[in-house]
Amino acid sequence: MKNIMSLWLITSMILLLGSCNNEFEVNDPGKLVPKTVDQDASLPSIFINGTQLHSQTFGNPNNPMVVFLHGGPGSDYRNGLNVRQLANDGYYVIFYDQRGSGLSQRHDRNTYTIQLMLDDLTAVISHYRTSSSQQVFLFGHSWGAMIAAAYVNTYPDRIRGIIFAEPGGFNKKLLDEYGAASRKIKLFAESTNDIMYPDQFLSGGKDKHAILDYKLAIISGFAYAPGNNEGNEGPSPFWRNGAVMLDRLVEIAETEGFDFTTNLHRYETRVLFIYGENNKSYGLSFAQKEAAFFPNAQITQIDDTGHEMIHFKWNNIHPIVLTYLNSLR
Amino acid sequence: MTNIKTCIFIVFLCFLMNQSFAQSVNWQTLKNNRHIAHIHTSWDHGLVYGLGYSYQLKLKTPILLQASYSLPSGNQLLDDFKVKLGGQVRFYKINYFQFSASLYALYRRFQNPLVRLQNFGTELSIVAGYYKSRWFIAGEFGFDKAVVTHFKHSDRFKTFIYTNVQDGWAEPATGGNFYYGLQAGVSFYKSDLVLKAGLVSEQSFQQTPIIPYYLQLGYNLKIK
Repeated sequence: MKNIMSLWLITSMILLLGSCNNEFEVNDPGKLVPKTVDQDASLPSIFINGTQLHSQTFGNPNNPMVVFLHGGPGSDYRNGLNVRQLANDGYYVIFYDQRGSGLSQRHDRNTYTIQLMLDDLTAVISHYRTSSSQQVFLFGHSWGAMIAAAYVNTYPDRIRGIIFAEPGGFNKKLLDEYGAASRKIKLFAESTNDIMYPDQFLSGGKDKHAILDYKLAIISGFAYAPGNNEGNEGPSPFWRNGAVMLDRLVEIAETEGFDFTTNLHRYETRVLFIYGENNKSYGLSFAQKEAAFFPNAQITQIDDTGHEMIHFKWNNIHPIVLTYLNSLR
Repeated sequence: MTNIKTCIFIVFLCFLMNQSFAQSVNWQTLKNNRHIAHIHTSWDHGLVYGLGYSYQLKLKTPILLQASYSLPSGNQLLDDFKVKLGGQVRFYKINYFQFSASLYALYRRFQNPLVRLQNFGTELSIVAGYYKSRWFIAGEFGFDKAVVTHFKHSDRFKTFIYTNVQDGWAEPATGGNFYYGLQAGVSFYKSDLVLKAGLVSEQSFQQTPIIPYYLQLGYNLKIK
């Protein structure tokens, strides 16, 4: 019995000593996730609408403006940086990480709303716009394309043209349809285990941004796991996910619902939808459902790619987008 | 000497087998059985399969020394697992009502293409139930603490996400989850068939795991 007690004591001591002899603090900025703009002054940023956003621009500020809206919610614009090539084509390209996303400033969970996202977009456009006659185009990917729809649904007269790259759903019904098709749980798959198992290693309170963002980062591999429904070829880069912002917007969608389609019929300018051939969750039929809300829509398939088409197949997208933009100048 | 051999055997079993919650037994039918084998399948942060072994000490108060090993399903069999070493004691009995407590040391490992996590933790639980010779039902409440965790990130993580991510041991404790639920079992011949179900909540009660419940179907065989 004494020996058993000794073994138990030794085990406990190892655990205790192990917990005291550590190398870094989990919640320290920059340890497991990169610092945000309010923590690292070397990052490019703008102050708008009561927040600090990570933001970059490319091209002549007097050219027609293309504002890129990244996916998520909560992700960042790193996987969309190929779009900066439009700066060489005569456009002023604006990137920003949305509030609570990427490297932008984090806020209290309950402050995030969809209207706030739209207000931020208005403020970003105002911040960079050099004249009232400067044309403004939106280029949205996934969630960013949903935000683009919400924006023109609310402000149909402010935007010259829109490129939608696989928006996840312009209303709750379509979002559920897309989610069910793209996020099927395979009970016995390694990718499922890769999402669920870390919960016993890492947890944080509702506003512990660093640890929650890190958890989201390490489970991101499910998006490109072999056989994934979205047709993703492999990992695409990102800096940092905003887990709290994502969680809050999902909660809003689930509890309050949303519908970004009520005024889309008033937007008469031709819009461009692009979708990846290999995304089994989207496809032509889903694109047609979303395009049907607009009076004038063009749908184009991007061959041999999936949801992360902007990162993997930009060379195929570029001429289509450029032709569309030039047709509206 | 016998006790040392027993300990070595338990530790050996730990590393042969893989993960679980506290192993449930019918205290009413335990009697003088010394060796008990356990198998289970459960939903415990994934679809998990586990094996375990209990050794009952010859004492007036029933004490079980326990070891278990479990692993989740998936294509990579040895990348994720959990080992538990500890025991449980029935500390109070009044008629058919019995109360027990358990304490375990944990080692668990998780690896995917982005990171390898190794964690030492501890799990505490209490169980209060009504135990008859053919069946039992009980309530349980436990806490699983991830005390200290080692991070090792892959080149993929550093290339596609964050170049300057820190590797090494991290503090403070990186996580913890409460669990609470019910367990029920039927006993027959030398066997118990046990079903457990309950909810899991992150330690601050502000978040829940992706799947906020657990479910376990287990089988105990009293070997001798």
